[in-house]
Amino acid sequence: MSKFDYNKLIDNEAALQSRSIFWEPEIYQEELKQIFNRCWLFLGHDSQIPEAGDFLRTYMGEDDVIVVRGEDGEVRAFLNACSHRGNKVCQAEWGKTKAFTCSYHGWAYDNMGELAAVPLEESIYDNLDRSKLGLVPVARVQNYKGMIFGTFAEEGPDLVEYLGDMAYYLDVVLDASPEGMELIGTPFRVEIPGNWKLPVENAIGDGYHVAWAHAGAMRVVGTIGQGRGETVLGIGKDNTGFDDSGQMQVAIPPHTILSTLDGQSGYALYDNPGPCIEYLEQVRPSVVERLGEVRGKQLLGSETHMGVFPNLQIIQGLNLLRVIHPKGPGAFEVATYSMADKNTPDEVKDIIVKHVGQTFGSAGILEGDDGDFTEAITHSPNGYATRQMKGWLGMAQGRTMDWEGPGEASPGIVNELCQREFYTQWQRTMLAESANDILPKAPVQKESANG
Amino acid sequence: MARKQKIAPVGKDTDMEVAYRIERFLAAEARALDEERYDDWLAMLDENIAYKMPIPMNTYRRNRPGKSSICETMIYDESFEKLKQRAAREDTGMVWLNDPATHHIRTITNIESFCTDEASVYDVRSKFTLLRARRDKDHISHTGTRKDLLHDTGNGLKLVARTVFLPARVIVDKNLNMFF
Repeated sequence: MSKFDYNKLIDNEAALQSRSIFWEPEIYQEELKQIFNRCWLFLGHDSQIPEAGDFLRTYMGEDDVIVVRGEDGEVRAFLNACSHRGNKVCQAEWGKTKAFTCSYHGWAYDNMGELAAVPLEESIYDNLDRSKLGLVPVARVQNYKGMIFGTFAEEGPDLVEYLGDMAYYLDVVLDASPEGMELIGTPFRVEIPGNWKLPVENAIGDGYHVAWAHAGAMRVVGTIGQGRGETVLGIGKDNTGFDDSGQMQVAIPPHTILSTLDGQSGYALYDNPGPCIEYLEQVRPSVVERLGEVRGKQLLGSETHMGVFPNLQIIQGLNLLRVIHPKGPGAFEVATYSMADKNTPDEVKDIIVKHVGQTFGSAGILEGDDGDFTEAITHSPNGYATRQMKGWLGMAQGRTMDWEGPGEASPGIVNELCQREFYTQWQRTMLAESANDILPKAPVQKESANG
Repeated sequence: MARKQKIAPVGKDTDMEVAYRIERFLAAEARALDEERYDDWLAMLDENIAYKMPIPMNTYRRNRPGKSSICETMIYDESFEKLKQRAAREDTGMVWLNDPATHHIRTITNIESFCTDEASVYDVRSKFTLLRARRDKDHISHTGTRKDLLHDTGNGLKLVARTVFLPARVIVDKNLNMFF
C-alpha cells in the first residue's frame, strides 16, 4: 500500500497536479516499479539490429538493458548484469557480437543470453549449472511493425492491446509503405536536470509554449531558401498560436496525438522543404490507397506528435523519435533519433537528419530552450512552500470536435488535452494493483457527433 | 580556391610568423564569441565553411557495423548560412535562456600549425575549454579538440573547415547552443 494518495496528487476534474510528483524521491521509486517495471517500453527498431548478433543498449527505467538479435534471428532483451556478481557484460553502445563477456571474471554469454563459458569452470566449480545462470531476460519482447518494445511484466496486456487504437496513428509513420520506417544514425543523448514527466508531456502536447519559449528560434527557423514569413505552424508575431480551424489534440488513453491535419506543415520548420514535400506528394496517392483518405491526406505530412505512454514520442514532420529515460527524480536523459520511411530518397533523408540535428539534436536551436523551465519546475519544490503548489493544465477542458479517427478529439494544438491525459494515465498506473490494471477499464466511447 | 578536405597528418610546421598570426586569429575569434560579436565572428569565416561536430561512438574497437542503420551522426553539421541563422537567433533578443546574459570564456591552447599541400591553407589543431557560467551556480565546462583548416587570403585568415571533437557521449548540459 502506497503512503501517497495518487487520487489527491492528480485532480483530474480541476486539472491540477501536485508539484511534489516531480520532486518526491519516494514517488520516483514507486514510478520505477509501477510504470517502468510494468508498461511496454520502446527498446529499439529492427533497422538498428537487422542481423544475427546485432545488439544495442538502452534503458528501461533505470535498468541497463541489452537488446540483441540472437543467432536464431529472434530479438531478446536482457538486463546488462552478469549472473555471477552483477558487473555489466557489455560496455559498447551497439555493435555485432557472438558473445557478451563480463570484464570482471570473464563469464561469457552467447547472443541468446545463455551462459556459454566460465573460465576454469571444470577445475574450480562442482556446483555450477550454466543452464540456470543465463542473463536475466526482459519478460516479454514484442514487435509492432519494426518497433521493438519490452516489458518486465509477466502478465498484463500484450503489446498490440497496449497500443490499442494508437496503432491507427502509428501506422501513418510505420506502415506508409510496405517497407516501413527506419531509424537513421546514432541517437543524440543529453542529460537534463529535470523530472522525466516534464519533457514527455511537453513534447506530446504543449503547443502553447512553442511561440513563446522558442521565440528566438521560431524567428529564424525555415528562413533560409524559402524566404519564410513570420508565421510557422500558424504561429507568428501576429498570432499567439491559437488556431482551432483544423488542428487537434486527441486522447487515445493511455496514448495521445497532436496534429495540424493539413498534410504538409510537418516541413514548415525546414529551410529546404522542397525535396521533402515533393517526395511527400509523390507517395501520397499510394498512402491514401493503403491507409485511406483521413490518414493519407490529413495526417500524412502534418506536424503530428504521437505520445506512447510512458516515455516514447514519435514526431512526424520533424521526423524524430525520442525516448525519455528517468535518471533519479531530478534528472532525465533524452535520446533523439532521426526517422524516415525506408523508401525515402537519400537526399531527402540527408535533409531530415540534418534538420533533426539543427532543431532537436544535442545542439538543436529549439531543444536547448526547454532546459531552464524543466529544471525550475522540478527543483524549486526543494522549498517546502513551493512543494505545496499545484500545476494547472485546464486549457480547452471540455472542448470537443468531430473527428473520424479513433479517440476523443479537441480542437487546436494550443490545448492541454494531451498533457491532462498523460497525468490521468500516470495516476492510473500509480494506482494499479497489477499490470492487468494499467489500461483504462472500458474502451473510451466516442461522444456523439455534436459533442 | 581549391578546398580539398584532405588534411595532412602532422606535417611540416608553418613558419613562425604564420604560426603567430594563426594563434592571434584563434584568440581573436574566441574573444569575438565570448563578447557575443557574432557579425565579427561570421566575417572570420569562409562562406564555404564546413562546421562539424560528430557524436563520439561508444563502440568496441573491433566493431564491425554490418547492416545496422546506426552510423556516424553530427551534432553540428553546418554551412555558413546555418551558422548565420544560429547567430541571428542569439541576436533576436528573444532567447530567454541568455537573459540575464550567459557568460562564456573560451580558452584555446595546444595550438599546432601545419602546412598542407596548398601553400595558402594551414591545418591547425587546438584544444579548448569553454566555460559557461549563468544564473546562480550553472557553471559548466566543455573541453575538446578542434581540427581547423585556415585559408590565408589577401584579406587575412579565414576559417574554411572546423571539426570539433567533444569527447562526451551523453551531453550533460541544458543546451549546447554555443559556438566552439
